Amino acid sequence: MTVSASALFSETAARARAEGRLILTEEESKAILQEQGISVTMPTLATSADEAASAAESVGFPVVMKVSSREITHKSDVGGVRLGIANADAARAAFEEIVASAKAAEPNAAIDGVTVQSQAPSGGVEVIVGMTRDHQFGPVIMFGLGGIAVEVLQDVAFRIAPLTKRDAAGIIRDIKGYPLLTGYRATRAVDLNALEGVIEAVSSFVSETPDIAEMDLNPVLAYPDGSVAVDARIVLTAEDDG
Amino acid sequence: MDATRKANLDRAFNPELIAVVGDKKITDYMWLKSVRDAKAKVVSVQIDENEIPGILEMGFENYPSLEAVPGQVDYVIVAVPRPVAPRIVADAIKSGAGAAALFTSGFAETGEEQGVQLQEALTNMTREANFNLVGPNCMCLYHSKAGIRNSADQWIGEEGDIGFMSNSGTHATSFVMRARINGLYPLKSISMGNSIAVDQGDWLEYLGEDPEVKSIGMYVEGTRDGRKFFEALRDVAARKPVIIWKGGQTTEGARAAASHTGHLASDMALWDAMIRQTGAIRVDTQDELMDAFKALHFMKPFTGSRMGIVAQTGGQSVLVSDAFGREGLTVPDLTQESYDILEPIVTVVGGSYKNPLDVSGSLTSIERGREMLDTLAADPNTDIVVIEASIGFIARRLERQGKGMDDLIDMFKDFQETIDKPFAVIATWNQDEAALADFRGKIADRGIAVFPSFQDAARAIRRLRDYYVTQGELAAG
Repeated sequence: MTVSASALFSETAARARAEGRLILTEEESKAILQEQGISVTMPTLATSADEAASAAESVGFPVVMKVSSREITHKSDVGGVRLGIANADAARAAFEEIVASAKAAEPNAAIDGVTVQSQAPSGGVEVIVGMTRDHQFGPVIMFGLGGIAVEVLQDVAFRIAPLTKRDAAGIIRDIKGYPLLTGYRATRAVDLNALEGVIEAVSSFVSETPDIAEMDLNPVLAYPDGSVAVDARIVLTAEDDG
Repeated sequence: MDATRKANLDRAFNPELIAVVGDKKITDYMWLKSVRDAKAKVVSVQIDENEIPGILEMGFENYPSLEAVPGQVDYVIVAVPRPVAPRIVADAIKSGAGAAALFTSGFAETGEEQGVQLQEALTNMTREANFNLVGPNCMCLYHSKAGIRNSADQWIGEEGDIGFMSNSGTHATSFVMRARINGLYPLKSISMGNSIAVDQGDWLEYLGEDPEVKSIGMYVEGTRDGRKFFEALRDVAARKPVIIWKGGQTTEGARAAASHTGHLASDMALWDAMIRQTGAIRVDTQDELMDAFKALHFMKPFTGSRMGIVAQTGGQSVLVSDAFGREGLTVPDLTQESYDILEPIVTVVGGSYKNPLDVSGSLTSIERGREMLDTLAADPNTDIVVIEASIGFIARRLERQGKGMDDLIDMFKDFQETIDKPFAVIATWNQDEAALADFRGKIADRGIAVFPSFQDAARAIRRLRDYYVTQGELAAG
């Protein structure tokens, strides 16, 4: 069933399916993308307030903490995300608050704990890199401005995978917001090579992995020197799409 | 498409013997008439006693079945009632014809159970036999050199070099007619209908491999196999220009998606992506399709975007520059050498010898017009030269000099052949619509691109500029 060049993906997908899930967790998704050479803020799972504090110390402050539950896919909707945690005490407090708030919102959801990841520096431009499997064209890649821009303005462009070098450059230049990436006023141009690298890595990975139905890296923060995916979601194909 | 299928299609497009099954008086024997001028023998197959006399009267032999037709049938046109269609297609397969085109409709396009089932039966039958069924629900095949047509009103002749394929029978038919009015020569036009046996990817590949087809256009609403079509387009568009007019642009497939990407991947977004990746040309209307073909066939290839413009409608130079500016084209300053030539000859009050030239009353003769055009063409700051010809005005002036519009068009033709930059004419408005249509037709017949407005010219020119730039990028790898 699961066919992929990535053993990590195959194992993760098989485990998710065995648990009746098609949506991989952020941790699972990021581990798979990291293996594909994509830079991510890797979450560490903490199951207690003390573990959260020591995980935060080892990744370095400030950190982002998020509830970890296979049954909660929209973490911020349940109060399950805290940003800008600056020290160990704040990490301990955040652990308790996140667990309490998630339990209050989703009393029946099994909560594994809270993940801790480094907070990407400010000043990055939020973009989205995504993939979906179209019933006509097969895997297609999307690029656009992330965050609110993708939801409201829908300033996105597509290419059919696998992408050539020209396609990866073109998909970025197609969006109306492209000038935001090339530097305006005092801001510096972002590292377009790094973004093209992320797009190409996603393209080649999904092209050889038919088991993936959809994927969002949203947002990817683009900086003058590199980029990093700070949230990610991989969705598996339903068995009957096979 | 395998070699046998392709050879069979070639035979159907260049038939020696055509059989028309089920043609009738109520449709004015449209199918017999559509092929009566073909370079082939045409026979009728009809069992309805009421229909046979009319067919014989027209001079066609009639047979009771395909099997009874003497000789090898190459192309079968089927216009029988829906319930009989599968049996006739089975006969066509047995006859060894190169292809059968099924005008009959009422299949899966109706959404009814009986129609869907009949289509499924046809699909299985043709697939098993590896048979070229065109349609169903189509206006069959057109090949100008062989004299086979979608409709008896269409032009036939030897000059054709454009291939067209269409999901809509109306557009397959009208493409041929409108192409001729625009000075273009269609070679093959395929009404794909429900395309159950030969699909969009197959047809594209077929036209791509036809050495006589210099450029390809299509009207498509969708494709059964997007991946196959994408790969065919990638391959064909690298070798010859492909212009895509996509219908159904606002129909969004219902997508239950767990990601932003899945939610935003509309059908049109993906067609756009494919067009950009392959270097095809996108148009949104039949008028734009015609304009793109004119720019492609008549204007010399170009990658620049700097316009040199002679305008006549007076006081419009801002609007003219706007029209081109909206499409990312520029109307630059000319060199001092050009100004030195133009200033003394553009003398009308309120006119301008600067680009766009606003010459109105200064265009006093054909020689004067030629001088203006030559100056724009020679100027190193321009890449493309266009002239607006407002015909009522010019016609009256030429008449006084004992000249006509034909002399003006001769000058355009000579100018186009002399310069190495692309050239186009804009024939905007006139009080006499018939005279305007006549003027445009004459320009088109001389192989000169003529557009109905500055905006239309700008759009077509931008599209072709993008096309040539993209082809350069794709060739560079």
